[in-house]
Amino acid sequence: MISRVLLEDVLAAAMSTGADFAEVYAEKTRNNGIRFLDGKIDTINDTVVSGVGIRAFIGTRTVYATTTDLTRSGLIRCAKAVADALGESKAEVSIHLTERIFPNIHPVKIVPTTADIKTRTDLLKDACVTAQNYDEKIKQVMGNLASTDHNILIANSEGLYTTDRHVRTRIACSAVASNGTENQSGSASPGRGMGLEMFEFIDPKEVGRKAAEQALVNLRADYCPAGQMPVAIENGFGGVIFHEACGHSLEATSVGTGTSQMAGKMGQKIANEKVTAIDDGTIPGAWGSVNIDDEGHVTQRNVLIENGVLKSYMIDRLGSRRMGMEMTGNGRRESFMYEPTSRMTNTFIANGPDKNEDIIASIEYGLYAKSMGGGSVNPLTGEFNFSVSEGYIVREGKICEPVRGASLVGTGSQILMDIDMVGQNLETAQGMCGSSSGSVPTDVGQPLIRVSKITVGGR
Amino acid sequence: MDFKQIKNIVSSACAAHGIEEYEVTYTVGESISAETYIHDISAFSSGESAQIYFRCIVDGHMGYASTSLFEEDEIADLVSRAADNARAIENNDTVVIFKGSETYQKTTAPDPCVVDAGELKNKALELQSKTYAYDDSVVDGTQSVAMSFRDETYMYNSHGLELSNRVGMTGVYVAAVVNKDGEARDNFEFAEGINGKDFDELPKKAVDGALNKIGASEVDTGKYNIVIDGAQMRSLLSAFSPAFSAKNALLGMSMLAGKEGEKIASDIVTITDDAMREGCPIQTPFDDEGVATYKKNVVENGVLKTLLYNLTTAIKTGKETTANGRRGGNISPYNFCICAGQDTQESLFEKAGDGIYVTGVKGLHAGANAITGDFSVESEGFLIKDGKKAGPVKSFTVAGNFFKLLMEIDSLGNEVKWGIPGGFTVFGCPDTLIKGMSVAGK
Repeated sequence: MISRVLLEDVLAAAMSTGADFAEVYAEKTRNNGIRFLDGKIDTINDTVVSGVGIRAFIGTRTVYATTTDLTRSGLIRCAKAVADALGESKAEVSIHLTERIFPNIHPVKIVPTTADIKTRTDLLKDACVTAQNYDEKIKQVMGNLASTDHNILIANSEGLYTTDRHVRTRIACSAVASNGTENQSGSASPGRGMGLEMFEFIDPKEVGRKAAEQALVNLRADYCPAGQMPVAIENGFGGVIFHEACGHSLEATSVGTGTSQMAGKMGQKIANEKVTAIDDGTIPGAWGSVNIDDEGHVTQRNVLIENGVLKSYMIDRLGSRRMGMEMTGNGRRESFMYEPTSRMTNTFIANGPDKNEDIIASIEYGLYAKSMGGGSVNPLTGEFNFSVSEGYIVREGKICEPVRGASLVGTGSQILMDIDMVGQNLETAQGMCGSSSGSVPTDVGQPLIRVSKITVGGR
Repeated sequence: MDFKQIKNIVSSACAAHGIEEYEVTYTVGESISAETYIHDISAFSSGESAQIYFRCIVDGHMGYASTSLFEEDEIADLVSRAADNARAIENNDTVVIFKGSETYQKTTAPDPCVVDAGELKNKALELQSKTYAYDDSVVDGTQSVAMSFRDETYMYNSHGLELSNRVGMTGVYVAAVVNKDGEARDNFEFAEGINGKDFDELPKKAVDGALNKIGASEVDTGKYNIVIDGAQMRSLLSAFSPAFSAKNALLGMSMLAGKEGEKIASDIVTITDDAMREGCPIQTPFDDEGVATYKKNVVENGVLKTLLYNLTTAIKTGKETTANGRRGGNISPYNFCICAGQDTQESLFEKAGDGIYVTGVKGLHAGANAITGDFSVESEGFLIKDGKKAGPVKSFTVAGNFFKLLMEIDSLGNEVKWGIPGGFTVFGCPDTLIKGMSVAGK
């Protein structure tokens, strides 16, 4: 990409007005998306994103500038813009970069864009056609096979010079079922930090079946009744509850500025003792894994909550300076267009002591949220909401009729205490998490859990 | 590399591949922003971005590719990638590269320029200090941000059509955090420009908004008359706007399919789409296919006059395009709004009698089903008691169906509240009274 000598000059230019740290992030990413619609391959998008972001610090003050001009003059101009905006003093800096190669724990076998188009369209069709033919009530199927080949280079004034490659693949299928008067939808969208070898673990047909089944369940479901009740939340994407209700409040972005309900609570009991939660960017081939974060820091396994006690935050470089704590390998960004900030990787509630069947059996009247949609949270107050994409009423310990249109609303601090049963079927699911540094891939996860009481929005 | 060079590289590559119909669009942008924390500029950023979008017709199908890597080989490679992609397309849509409209409107917005960095920083600091000074309850974590951007678009196609446009905006926001009686609340307010009344009033608006949320109670589950603030109503309109796309209608993914000419909303509802809205800094004289945009009523007095079309869906249905074509064969509106009605906010509260004034909805990206119209969203707001605004309420959900809601709109406020103009699309709505909606609370 960019020569080491040029990078040294760029970093020196960025620090020429008194910065105490500077960093260059360069990327070349190829994004490819194949869309299936109305029974056919409909559109293929193929985008190359290339550019550089330069950042410099004085204490906790940062300046960030980006450019797509990768020539020497373009990069030096960008670095000078950073220096000019940051300080007024004059500093002679000389930078010596040493290449570091970090172990690659996510080796990729088949980079998707190197495989021929037919191989890829066939995989997508396999999922979508399965959904289409699943039932005559399935009236429309949409699908997408997306891949990213993300090549990054990071150099900083501490002498770091390194490169990394993240390849990710995701297949998404959504089905619309209709009974003539009403439409309902269902979807499934698994992905991995892998190339096309992902399909050794994921059967496209199964993806199509799941989407179709969910649409059909929702078609026969009635509206969810509203009110407060106990809720059993299933594994996999059910972990979005923790991601939204707690994960965001543990990011340095909000903790470091005091705008998190979790600020200052280290070592305190913030959750039911059955709750242990982990953020782990090192899981081989997982959707949210990376060898190094976007600040060049090796990812790690961070135990966030252990038996209900707050053990760690997720901390990027700026957060580390603000909070006086170590970085945790969570500095992430969507692309060079964004300044990195603290973000989750693969975040999940660990298996607990309860048997899954006991959890359902314990509910006299409540909701079984088999599949969750997305949600959002205000980190200041911890208020969150998320939607249930497939739900069932539980009566006298048994799962009964399906209900649709439900959402779960509460506050993070409350629900963490109210998770009173934690099951043993931990599974993760994939999401794209949006925040100030853009949209990044994250895994959410948990085993089946019971929340003793939560507001269910319905009608 | 400038657009002329890009055009030359693309044209030669197309000639070499025997591609006769193609289009290349070049966008280049500049942006700066200054953020504050306590009383300092905590972050400043400036960005230059540029992207080339290419599309071409091969064997009757459209192929796309784009890049921001400005190297000659890469730009030539765009053409072969797009051609390969076109060959894998299976749909039977008729695709065209547009020859051009007879006339194009001229933008009336002032020529955009990016504000000087020093001035932008000063404005952010000024806002921040006024926000802290406004009330003792303002605490650290409060943030004032000023930003400015400019984007230019250049389009050229194989019919010789050449178009260009420039848009930009400068704006500020305050995210105020207050702590009163041990309770923390926040509120976000945006204003366009860095001078004038809206700018001056921003700290007060942001802090009062946060303070007003202190001491919120919960509401009982039940049916309520609801006044939805225009800023929240426009979020709902945004979430369900895909239903107005002719593409979604043709795919059976819109509740509005086949409803053109039919009543889909209460008589008082008129929805317009205007790419060139007066006063909006983002004005778009042509869509991504090169078609001249124009103002249209999408819904008029409750009747759906037209869906939104691009060239392909227009050809498919024997209609004219409404110039809503977006890159990648997609369709979206520009300045899309429910037009203002007659009522002041006070008179809406009076008409509601007892109910809830909803000033915040969250989670629409997950809690709204654009295909069915169903929604169930976390909300906050104020009680309406005896026709007047009363104390704050929180943590309840409002649920319903957007298309039923359109039919049940009782009254509309007399001012359209527009969203923040950013990309192509911005939504606007007045305060809206709907009677008997489902609310889940305690």
